[in-house]
Amino acid sequence: MLGLGKPKPVDEYEAHGETERIYHQLRQTVRVTGVNLNFRTWAGFEHFFPAMWDTVQPNLETRIFEDAADQVRAQAVHAADLLGRVGAVAEADLGESQAFQVRAALNLYHYVNPKMLVLTSAVRLALEGESPGQPESTDVELIARGAPAGMYPMEMVDEDPESNQVEKVFRDIKKTLGLSQINSDYRTLALWPDYLEAAWKGLKPITQRDEYRTAADVLRERSRTLARRLPHPIPLSPEQVEALGEDADEVMQTTERFEQLLPGLILNIALLALDWAEPEALARSPFPAPAAQLAGGAR
Amino acid sequence: MKWREFQRMQKVAQLGDRFLSYVDQGSGDPVILLHGIPTWGYLWQGIIPTLADSHRVLTPDLLGFGYSDKGDNFDRSITRQAEMIDAWLEALGIERTDVVGHDIGGGVALRLATLFPQRVRRLCVMNTVCYDSWPVEMMLQLGHPSVYRKASAKTTTAGMKLGLKQGFASSPDDEIMEGLLAPYSTEVGKLSLIRNAAALNTNLTTEITRLLPEVRAETRILWGEDDQFQPVEYGERLAWDIPGARLVRIPDARHFVMLDQPDEVAGQIASFLR
Repeated sequence: MLGLGKPKPVDEYEAHGETERIYHQLRQTVRVTGVNLNFRTWAGFEHFFPAMWDTVQPNLETRIFEDAADQVRAQAVHAADLLGRVGAVAEADLGESQAFQVRAALNLYHYVNPKMLVLTSAVRLALEGESPGQPESTDVELIARGAPAGMYPMEMVDEDPESNQVEKVFRDIKKTLGLSQINSDYRTLALWPDYLEAAWKGLKPITQRDEYRTAADVLRERSRTLARRLPHPIPLSPEQVEALGEDADEVMQTTERFEQLLPGLILNIALLALDWAEPEALARSPFPAPAAQLAGGAR
Repeated sequence: MKWREFQRMQKVAQLGDRFLSYVDQGSGDPVILLHGIPTWGYLWQGIIPTLADSHRVLTPDLLGFGYSDKGDNFDRSITRQAEMIDAWLEALGIERTDVVGHDIGGGVALRLATLFPQRVRRLCVMNTVCYDSWPVEMMLQLGHPSVYRKASAKTTTAGMKLGLKQGFASSPDDEIMEGLLAPYSTEVGKLSLIRNAAALNTNLTTEITRLLPEVRAETRILWGEDDQFQPVEYGERLAWDIPGARLVRIPDARHFVMLDQPDEVAGQIASFLR
C-alpha cells in the first residue's frame, strides 16, 4: 500500500510546540498556504521531524531548489501533454466561481508538489546513506519568503467525508492507487464533488497505462538528480535517525512511499490543469519566486 | 434551493489579490444584498426571487465568508468589506445601487451610506449591527485565536449550529442551516470564520454615529422584534438618527428575520424598492 497508516499525521490545527513552529516556517519557506500530507505524516515522527526540518530548510529557500522544482514541473507538463486530456471541466458543469476556484486550487498543487518531490528525494537519498547537496556553497541566491498573494488556501474536506459521492470516489482512488490515506490534492478537489468525480473518471484509465508509469519513473529520477545538486548538505543518516530514538526503517518506508506517490500526483495535476491552459503556459511556474530582499545582510 | 445549487450560480470578481463570489439574478436597477456573520449569500436565497422580478439582484459573499476568498492574513473588518464592495461595484460598472444589509452586512451598508454616499441610492438594514450593539458574546468567544487549536471544524460548526438556533423564532430548516454553515465545515473555513469573528469591532460603527444624521439615502429599517442578538431598541435609535428613516417591526421573528418571515421580509423590501 502506498500512502501511510502510521504514524498518524498531525493536522495543522492540532500542531503545537515544535511542530507548530515548523509548520509556520515551512509555509513561509516553501511559499505555500498549507501543509501537505507528507509533512503532516513526517510530523508524526516527533524527534525526526525537527531534525529533518533543520537540515533541509536552508536548501528550501534557495533559487536552486526553486529552479529544481520548476524543472520537474515543466517536465511533468510535457509528459502529461503526451498522455492526453482528461476533459473534467466540461463534464463537471461548474459555475463561474467554482471553476475559478478549482483552477486556483490546481495552481496551488501544481506549484507545491514538485517542491515536495525534490525535497522528498533529497531526504530519501540522505536516509539511504548518500549525501545529497553540495558540501560548501557560497553566494547562493535566496528567494522571498511567504505564500504568494492570491495563492488558494489549502482547503480540504475531511478524509472521512460526509458526502456519499465523495466517499465513493475516495474509496476508488485508494483501491486503484493502493493508498491508505487520501492526499491533500484529492481532498481539496472534493470541495467540488462533481468536479472530483469527473476528474477521477478521466484520470483513472490514464493512471493504468504503461506510459504514465514510465513518465512517473522519469520524473522521480529527475528529482533525485536535482536533489543531489542542492546547494547545502543534508546530513541525515539512518544512524542519526536511530540516535534520535526513531525507527529508521519506518521513517525510510514513509519517505520512500511519498517519493513513489508524488510523481503520479504531479502528473495528475498537470493533466487536470491542461483542461484550462496550454502546455507552454503551464510549464512555467504559476508563482514565480522573487529574490529575497535582505536588509542588513543575509539570513 | 439547496446550497450547492446556489454555489453553482455564483460568479466571481477578482479584485486585486482577492476575489469575491456573488450571485447575479434578474434585471433592472441594481440592489445588493449583504449578509452577516456567520452566514454567506445563501442567507438571501428565499428573498432573491421576489426582488429579481423587478431588479438586478447582486448577492456577494463578503471577503472571508462563504465562497469568497478565505485565505488567511488579510483584513476582514467592515471597513475593508465596504472598500471591497465599492471596488466590486466599480468592477461591475455600477455607480449607484440600492443596498440591503443584515447583521454585519448592515454595518457594511451603514458605512457605505455614510462614507461612500454616492454609491447608495436607497438603504435597507435589518437587525443590523450599529453603535455599540456588537460583537455579541458568542462571536467574541469564536474570535479568540485559541479556538483554532481547541476545536475541530466539525465541533466548531456543531457549536455554531446550536448557538444560532437562538437567532430563530421558528425552527430553522435543517437544509438551510446546513447550507449556511457549509463553507465553514473545513479547517480553512473554520479558521476563516474565526478570523472574521476576530475582525468584529464596535469602533467601526461608533465612529460613524456622528455621520448618521447626514445620510441622504431613503432608509428603511426592518427588525425581527424578538431578536436577542441585536435588540430592537438599536433599530429605534437608528430610525431616530437617520433622517426620514422608518422602522418596521416584524413580529414573530428574531435575528434571522428573513428566514423566520421570508414572505413578509421579501414583501417589505420589494415595496420599499418599488
